[in-house]
Amino acid sequence: MLAIQLAITGLQTGALYALTAVGFSLIFGSTRIFHFAHGASFVIAAYFFYATFGAGWGVIPAILASAFGAVAFGLLLDRLVYVPIQRHEGSFFTVFVASFGVGIAVQNVIGMIFGRGYVTVNTSLSRSVEMFPDVYVSPLAWIAILCAAIFLGGLQFFLRRTHTGMALRALADNPELVRTFGLNPRAIQAAAFAIGSVIVVPAAIITSATTGLSPAIGHHVMLISLAATIVGGIGSISGTMLAGVLLGLAESLALLIVDSQWTEAVTFAILFAFIIIRPSGLLGRATAH
Amino acid sequence: MEAYIYNLVNLIAIYSILAVTLNFIMGYAGIYSLAHAVFFGLGAYTSSWVAQNVSPSIFVSYPAAMVAAGAVSLFLALPALRVRGEYFVAASLGLQVLSVTIYSEWKGFTGGIGGVLAIPPVDVLGWEVFRPGQFAILSVAVLVLVVLLTTALVRSSFGRNLRAIRDSESAAASFGKNVPMIKTISVVISAGLAALAGALYASYLSFINVESFTLDTSVLIMAIVIIGGTGTVAGPIVGAAILLILPSVISYFEFLPQTEIGSLQQIIYGLGMTLLMIFRPGGLVGRRPGR
Repeated sequence: MLAIQLAITGLQTGALYALTAVGFSLIFGSTRIFHFAHGASFVIAAYFFYATFGAGWGVIPAILASAFGAVAFGLLLDRLVYVPIQRHEGSFFTVFVASFGVGIAVQNVIGMIFGRGYVTVNTSLSRSVEMFPDVYVSPLAWIAILCAAIFLGGLQFFLRRTHTGMALRALADNPELVRTFGLNPRAIQAAAFAIGSVIVVPAAIITSATTGLSPAIGHHVMLISLAATIVGGIGSISGTMLAGVLLGLAESLALLIVDSQWTEAVTFAILFAFIIIRPSGLLGRATAH
Repeated sequence: MEAYIYNLVNLIAIYSILAVTLNFIMGYAGIYSLAHAVFFGLGAYTSSWVAQNVSPSIFVSYPAAMVAAGAVSLFLALPALRVRGEYFVAASLGLQVLSVTIYSEWKGFTGGIGGVLAIPPVDVLGWEVFRPGQFAILSVAVLVLVVLLTTALVRSSFGRNLRAIRDSESAAASFGKNVPMIKTISVVISAGLAALAGALYASYLSFINVESFTLDTSVLIMAIVIIGGTGTVAGPIVGAAILLILPSVISYFEFLPQTEIGSLQQIIYGLGMTLLMIFRPGGLVGRRPGR
């Protein structure tokens, strides 16, 4: 029974990981910008929800506020930091450090406003119900899995069937060719940031009600996002989704063997193994070299 | 006032050693590590254990720390051989997270969350160095040694190999350079010397716990290198001085919330890093502005 319980919890965690990581993967895959402040987008989305929901805004307005916060942050960062850097060089290192600096600043500003401890959003949805004998599942688990199915399915549809989606994939392959076809790479890049940022919102909100939030959670978000992106294969959105679910399942099922403080170590071990043995990831085409 | 200045000198010297050693792999070999605090911690724990159980002599406990960190750094060298910067950042971030868990759980060696207490003062040829004034001489002397050693290495043919790898790995390999070996050696040297900073830190404070070796520390070390200027000799030391004096400067301005000094310091250097990258990617001491 314990294994079934852990598998269901793992699916819930995995769904949230997939939703968290896919935004980073989309931005990095299509624009080659190492958006380390993706963790900060997550933190901003989560705390916008926490603050507005706590102020009695109701669920829908709070979700909209959270989405607004994340998208505004992503677009502003693109406009004010990444575009100016790309104008003079835009090497991996310069972009990484700039993004990293913003992440540190956001973490501490949030910490000064809301405190550095853990906070949780209280809702009756996180109360577990006995589904089978000895297997407890909260409604939030189903919401998480459903959200992942809807948003990730929607993203795949968007990337394959709409013009903006196809332009995003084209940008990943060849930015020069995008320009030749009369499209504006900068506008497509902005679209990547808007979509990549908004897609963390469901994960951020559900996390705020399940495991809780702290300003430092951004680092964990980045570890998960990087791990899922690399394990899934750089540039492969489906790979990232698959890897996110697998990492969540692995962390949860590992509890059969180890104590809970080692769950991040499990993620790291999987990431490490992939970097050493198969740097191109599960579904990646290009190698990491 | 005197004690305060000596204390600051000691901390700046210790963090300068960390920054110089990180700069050695970051600025010259292009290995961007977010796991430098791991070796800082390993050096501190190992030297404490040796000082308590074997001998507090600087010629025993400090080399032991270097050997331990150098050996463990092979775990960092391994992914660095396989992948480029982007992916290596992920591996080092993971190693840092894992190490904090190990340092908090391995109670026999690290004392867990509580840390190691009553570390004996370091013994230099029969002298017990523990006063901040005396210790400042020791820590600055070690810093000078580390700077001389890394500068000599960077100026030697080994350093030219490192820069060649940073600029183009395949070009270096096609000139017959043993790229994996050169990278591994540079990571081991960097980690071994960073462990010296840990050993100094432990014997200076006589108390250590895992709080000093978390991701925040790795981030601070990286910020020091970047703000000072990567790939320069003076940059890491200038950066360490600026960032460690910053909290005192903040407390001088009384209108700032004094309970949030740590946060304000991090916000300032976070934004500082971003602004530098937009306007002056070479860092404050950088020789190649706007490269």
